[in-house]
Amino acid sequence: MEPARVNAISMQATTETAPVLEVRGMRKEFPGTLALDDVTLTVARGEIHALLGENGAGKSTLIKCICGAYAPTAGEVAVEGRLVSFSTPKGASDAGIAVVHQHYNLVPNITVAENLWLGETLPRRFGLIDWRRVHERARAVLDRLGIAVSTRAEISSLRPDEAAMISIAKAVSSDARIIILDEPTNALLPHEVERLFSRMRALAEQGHSFLYVSHRLAEVFEIADTATVLRDGRNAGTFTRRDMDRRAVVEAIVGRKDALAGRRSSSSARSETLMQVTNLTGVRARDVSFDLRAGEILGIAGLPGSGADEVMDLLFARNRRQAGRIAIDGREVALRDPAAAIRAGLALVPQDRLAEAVFHAESIRANISMPSLKRYLRDPFLRFINRGAEARAAGEVAGRMRVRMPGIETHIDALSGGNQQKVVLGRWLSTGARIFLLNSPTAAVDVGAKAEIYNLIHELAADGVGILFASTELDEYPLVCDRVLVFSGGRVVGALAGERLTGGNIMTLAAGGKLGDEHN
Amino acid sequence: MSTTETAAPRRIDWLGFLSRYGTIISLVVLIVIFSLGRPEVFPSVRNMFNILNQISILGIIALGLTVCLVVGLFDLSIGAMATFGGYFAARFLMEMDSDSVWAVAFVILSVLALAMLIGMINGALTSYLGISPIVETLAMSFIVTGVILGVSGGRTVNSSDIPMAFQVIGQGRIWGIPAPVLILIGTVFVLWLFLEHTQWGRNMYAIGGNREAARLSGISFQKYALIAMAIGAGCAALGGLVAGANLGVGRPQGVGETYLLNAFVAVFIGASTLKPGRFHVLGTAVGVLLIGVINNGLSTMGVATFWQYIVQGTILILALISASVNSVRRA
Repeated sequence: MEPARVNAISMQATTETAPVLEVRGMRKEFPGTLALDDVTLTVARGEIHALLGENGAGKSTLIKCICGAYAPTAGEVAVEGRLVSFSTPKGASDAGIAVVHQHYNLVPNITVAENLWLGETLPRRFGLIDWRRVHERARAVLDRLGIAVSTRAEISSLRPDEAAMISIAKAVSSDARIIILDEPTNALLPHEVERLFSRMRALAEQGHSFLYVSHRLAEVFEIADTATVLRDGRNAGTFTRRDMDRRAVVEAIVGRKDALAGRRSSSSARSETLMQVTNLTGVRARDVSFDLRAGEILGIAGLPGSGADEVMDLLFARNRRQAGRIAIDGREVALRDPAAAIRAGLALVPQDRLAEAVFHAESIRANISMPSLKRYLRDPFLRFINRGAEARAAGEVAGRMRVRMPGIETHIDALSGGNQQKVVLGRWLSTGARIFLLNSPTAAVDVGAKAEIYNLIHELAADGVGILFASTELDEYPLVCDRVLVFSGGRVVGALAGERLTGGNIMTLAAGGKLGDEHN
Repeated sequence: MSTTETAAPRRIDWLGFLSRYGTIISLVVLIVIFSLGRPEVFPSVRNMFNILNQISILGIIALGLTVCLVVGLFDLSIGAMATFGGYFAARFLMEMDSDSVWAVAFVILSVLALAMLIGMINGALTSYLGISPIVETLAMSFIVTGVILGVSGGRTVNSSDIPMAFQVIGQGRIWGIPAPVLILIGTVFVLWLFLEHTQWGRNMYAIGGNREAARLSGISFQKYALIAMAIGAGCAALGGLVAGANLGVGRPQGVGETYLLNAFVAVFIGASTLKPGRFHVLGTAVGVLLIGVINNGLSTMGVATFWQYIVQGTILILALISASVNSVRRA
C-alpha cells in the first residue's frame, strides 16, 4: 500500500480497499440530551453488519444521521472512501445509501413493477408508458436476486418477507452501495425470516453490503458477520463472527451491572386464582390455557407472529377470539368488546402508545379520566361532569404514578414518553381494574423511567392486581415477572420461573429450541 | 427524549398567540374598519341585530356540523337536510290546515325527529359499515333532495298556507330580539354544555382525537357516530325550518345549498380560534360571526358581492394556516 495518509479517506481512494461505509466521530446533540457521542462504525464490502443496542441506545439516531434525516452535530460519513454530506433522503440515495424501513417504504396498492420504478421516469413508446419494458426490466431485477414474485402483483398481496425482498431489490437496482435495514424482521414469521436471510446471504456473497439494525439477538447471531453495539449513545463494543459470544454481546448491550442485577426479588402472588383462560384461540394463538393469580406478574413472551402478541388483544376483545373461555373469580365472562372487558375488570396498555393510547391535544386530566368518567357524573341522564371531582381524582392518580408535569391541565403531548406511559397506566387505577394487560409498557421510554415503571408494576401487584406483561426486550422478563409463558408457533411451549427464568432461556424456547436440564 | 423545546421561543410565542387569537383579532379589526367606513350605518344596534339575524340560520346549521366534525365525520348532507326541514314543516302544516300552537309544535318536533332519524342512518352506514362519510352523506343528500322534489312536484308552499304560529319562529321578536337569534343563542348554549360539560361530549372528543384509544377506553364509535350525525341533521333541519318561517314559504329547492359551504367555512375558522386544531362551539360561533360581519360590512360599504367571497376565502386560508402552524409545532 501507499504510505498511510491521514486524509486518505477523503481522497478518491481505491474503491476496492476502502470500506463501503465508514462513520467517524459521529455526535448528535438534542437540547438537553446527547444522543450520540463519538460513534464509529465501519462496514466492509460484502458484509452483513449488525447494529445492536437497547431502545434509546442511539441506533435510530445514528441511522438518521447517516441517511441525512438529521444533521449531525459533528462527525463524518464516507461511502467507499468518499466523504459524503447531504441533508435529504434523496441526497443519501444519490450517495449510494439506501434505507429499508420497518414498513419497507413500498406503496401497497400498486404493482411490484411500479414500485421498483417509483421515482424514476418510466420508459415510453409513442408517448405512452411502455408497460412491456417496465415489466421486463422489473423482471430482470427480480430474477437477478432470485425473487420469484410476479411483477404484476400488488404489494399488498405479498407475504411480508416478499415485500421486504422487493424493498431490498429496489435498493439494489438503484445501485446502492450500502443497504440499511431498520428492523426488517418485525412483521415476519420465523420461516419468513429464514427466507429473507438466505437471500441476504446470497446478495452479500455477490458483494452487496448491509447494515442490519435489530434488537433480536438470535437473528443477529444467525446472520451478521460483524456487530457494532451502541449503549447510551456510545460505542460499547464491536464483534466479528469469531468472537461473537452471546454473553459478551449481551453484556455490551445492557452493561455489566444491569446484566447481573436482573431479577425480581420476591413475588407478591397470592393463592387465589383471579383469571382462568382455557383454550384461547385467535388467528395465531392456538389453545392457550393458563391461570393468573392475584398479585402475580405473568410474562407472555414469544417472537412476533408466535401468538404471544395476540393474547392480550384477544383477552381485551380487541380481536375476536375463535375459541376459548375466560373466567374471572371462577365465573365465566363473555367479553364481547373492550367496554365489556373494562366492566369485567380488565385494563389494557397497548403496545403503540401514541397511536393507540394517548388522546393527543387533551390534558393530562382528560387522558387519565377518559375510561372512568362515569364516576364523576352529577346525574346519570344528562351526564354532566363534576370537573372538580374529576380533576382531584386525576391529580391523585398522577401523584401516585409519580408523573412529572407542570400541572394536571398540561397537554399530554408536552410530556416525555415515560411520563405519558405513566398517565396511560394510571388511567386504569380509577376503573377498578384488577387484571392489567401490559403490552410493552416500557417501549420507547428512557432508562430512568423504565425503572420507575417497573416499580409501579410491582406496586400494583403488591395491591393484589393480576398482571400480564409482554416486552420486546427479553431481559425485562426476569426483572418484572414471577413466571413467563413462552410461545412458539401459536402454542405455549414452556413456562419459566425462578432460576430458569432468563432472557436466554426465553429466546431458546421462543426460537423452537429445548432447554438443557440445568439442575441435575 | 424531549427534542421539541428548541430555540427562538419568542417567535414561536407570537405564532401561538396569532393562531389562538387571529380570528378574533380579525373580527375586531373588520368591525373597526366597517364602523369607520360607514359610521352612520354599520355600528348601530339595529345593524348588529341585523347581522345576528342574518347569521342565525347559518349558525344553527354550522353548530350541528361542529358536533359531527368533533367525532371526525364530514356531513355533506346538511344542505339537503336544511331544505328538508324547511319544506316539510311548511308542507305538513299546509296538510294539517290548523292554526293551533300545538299543531305547529307537533309538526316541528316530527320534522326534527325525522331529520335525526336520517342522520342516524348516516351514522350507522358510516360507522358500522365503514363507508366514507363524505361519499355516504353526499349520496344521502341526493336521495333527500330527490324525495323533496318528488313530494313537492317542484311547487313551493305559499305563505297563505302556513299558519302565523309557525312564521313567528322566523319573524317574531321577544324583548326586541329576533326569534332566530334567540334560537341561535339557545343552540349555542345547549351544544356548548353538551360538548364541554357532559360525558357525551367528552367521549366524542376522545373519538375524534384517537378513535382506537377511545375504543380501548370502552367508548363505542358506532353509538357516538349515530348521536353526532343525528344532532348534525337535526340542527340542519332546524336551521332550514327557521329559514322557511323567516321567509314564510316552504321552498323545495335552493334553501340549504347556500348554507352548506359557509357552514364548513365557519366551523373550520372556529377550529383555529382559542383552541387551535379543535372543533368547538364557541369557535364556530366566532366563525359564523366573522362571516356575518364580512358580508354585512362589505355590502353596507357598497362593495361588490364578489369581494365577499374573496375576503371570506382569504380569511379561511389564514385560519387554516394558523391551525397548521400549531399542529406542526405539536408534532
